Amino acid sequence: MSLADTAPVHHRGATGRLVRSELALVLGRRRNVVLLVGLAMVPLLLGVVLYLAQDAGLAGQGPPFVARVTGNGLFLVVASLFLCTPFLLPLTIGIASGDAIAGEASTGTLRYLLVVPVARGRLLAVKALGALVFAGAAVLAIAVVGLVAGAALFGVGDLTLLSGTTVPLADGVLRVAGVVVYVGLSMTGLVAVGLFFSTLTEVPVGAMAATVVVAVVSSVLDQLPQVAVIHPALLTHHWFDFAEMLRVVPSADVLAQGLAVQAGWVAVFGALAWARFTTADVSS
Amino acid sequence: MDTTPVSPTRSRTRAAWAVPAAAVVAVAAAFAAPPLLASAAPDGLPEVTAEELVARVLEAEPQALSGTVVHTARLGLPDLSMTQVAGADPVSLLGGSTTLRVWTDGEQRSRVSLLGTASEYSVVADGTQAWTYSSSDDEVVHYAMSPQDAARAQELKATATPPADLPTPDELGRQALDRAQEHATVGVDAATTVAGRDAYQVVVTPRSTTTLVGRVVVAVDAQTWTPLRVQVWSSDDAATPALELGFTDVTFAVPDDAVLTFSPPPGAAVREVLVPLPDDASLAQAAPDDLPTSLPTDPSEVPLPEGVTVTGTGWDTIVQLSGVDAAALLAGDPAAVADLPRVDKQFGSEGAQELYEQFAPEGDGPPIDLDTAALYEQLTSPVEGGRALSSTLLSVLVLDDGRVLVGAVPVDALRAAARA
Repeated sequence: MSLADTAPVHHRGATGRLVRSELALVLGRRRNVVLLVGLAMVPLLLGVVLYLAQDAGLAGQGPPFVARVTGNGLFLVVASLFLCTPFLLPLTIGIASGDAIAGEASTGTLRYLLVVPVARGRLLAVKALGALVFAGAAVLAIAVVGLVAGAALFGVGDLTLLSGTTVPLADGVLRVAGVVVYVGLSMTGLVAVGLFFSTLTEVPVGAMAATVVVAVVSSVLDQLPQVAVIHPALLTHHWFDFAEMLRVVPSADVLAQGLAVQAGWVAVFGALAWARFTTADVSS
Repeated sequence: MDTTPVSPTRSRTRAAWAVPAAAVVAVAAAFAAPPLLASAAPDGLPEVTAEELVARVLEAEPQALSGTVVHTARLGLPDLSMTQVAGADPVSLLGGSTTLRVWTDGEQRSRVSLLGTASEYSVVADGTQAWTYSSSDDEVVHYAMSPQDAARAQELKATATPPADLPTPDELGRQALDRAQEHATVGVDAATTVAGRDAYQVVVTPRSTTTLVGRVVVAVDAQTWTPLRVQVWSSDDAATPALELGFTDVTFAVPDDAVLTFSPPPGAAVREVLVPLPDDASLAQAAPDDLPTSLPTDPSEVPLPEGVTVTGTGWDTIVQLSGVDAAALLAGDPAAVADLPRVDKQFGSEGAQELYEQFAPEGDGPPIDLDTAALYEQLTSPVEGGRALSSTLLSVLVLDDGRVLVGAVPVDALRAAARA
């Protein structure tokens, strides 16, 4: 294996331009916009269904949080995130992050990118930033549409926590914002995994599928009591710990543990992606 | 051995791949180190005898604290996996690991929360009243005394004077120890660390070889003498405790007021349960003037309610109840549970309230959950003449003739006792 080329000459401002073009690409690409709109439909659909069915005698039933939406629109944000976290969100994020490098390779544009006077490590960081921004946008799309739809359909008020304590609206909004931030940060590990797979192949679908498979396998392993010893280290194990924000005293330890696991996955798979991308032969 | 000359690119490639390898090692070390450090055995704790230790624990003031408790049960019962499906529910304590949060001011007020994924079951106690709140069905149960009873309880508390000849903690500790040593050996094990605090360990090992209980280990905080962990080991399994209840973190400080107070959230269904205070006559009977200055030394001295018989001694004791109609209890037959309180369920939406009133049974019977019967079926297995629940620590035999036998012995021993 040989390095493809000597490092290009570095130009002032090249990274900034690259970041701008990458963000415009990620957020402007039609497929990505469709994905975001699809995610945003979840709270809208859930809200409308619950609104139409609220007098059908089934109020107060359903999965956690969903039962509470009719009482307080703020819960539409939490309920939508709860429903999207196991699959829809990882799928969307897997598509975006798996495509980051492999997509460029498959269309033959990666070698042109490498001609940009920016080091490969920095190019990878820009790609990672693009994937992270998309992941953030995906979570925000659910949250913002959930908040607007929830407020419009059910109104917002003092928030009843899982512990049965009622906190004022301002505190409630802060806690729900905490849920959104935690869910967003919980996806960083998956972005790193997707980025690594993306550096391995020129077939973007392969990288996307592999990323989603990692999330699915992780949640399957999380259900098996036989491997309980590895549960705390699993990528998906702490995803639902966002509920901690809705307990009477959110435990900083639990939240920090969840974020530390994500940081571990980011460190390992970020380093793997870097090692692969900076040493790989790029021929297309 | 690598004999070929290493090319600059190859060495760069190697150097690059060394980075993720280092990252893996660093991450693994970061996650493995804290538990290893936390479980290091403490040194420098002064030696204590079992007698001193028990006395200190009995003497210790209740502490204001907040902490996280993990309860792990390996009772060998069928897997119920309740928290995944039904949300936080006390039934989940029967198997697997459950996390609880505990707050108490060391006096009257406390809160215990059983945590589930995205759900919580809370019990808040405040003097003479208590609430439970289940987040999965948004239901509050309020246990309280009638105003007269509450006033009487306050009065009793105010007028109660400890008898002059109350045994000192030292005496009580020695008595408790003597009592325990009748049927078991009591010793002090090596000091340990629980929730990051140095702790002494008391080990109680039954002398009996037929009981299911192998030994009981209690870890006691060396500073506050608060029990921090209880492990019950089955005689079947020497590797892991069958039942473990212990703090994973604990802070000795008065918790925030907001944690210890409770008012039903708006829209929640509230069920009122009136707890009767026994009348003065039976209270006087329960606490006779000549308060026993020693613990009862023989179980047969303790008066038993009607229909209850006790056989066996020490750890092999078998309690037998007769005249229990298990089938009627499970079916929620009003006659079998006549004393259970009336329910008043409220819903957030008017439509739901109407529907409920339309379809709710007219009778006053409490709504026994449909799955109670299923749970019973799942936990017990059929045996000759009834059904038996067998776990690593406790066996229950429910006979068709209305007798129920319970004991920390194998099911066969219960059946033998039933035949006797």
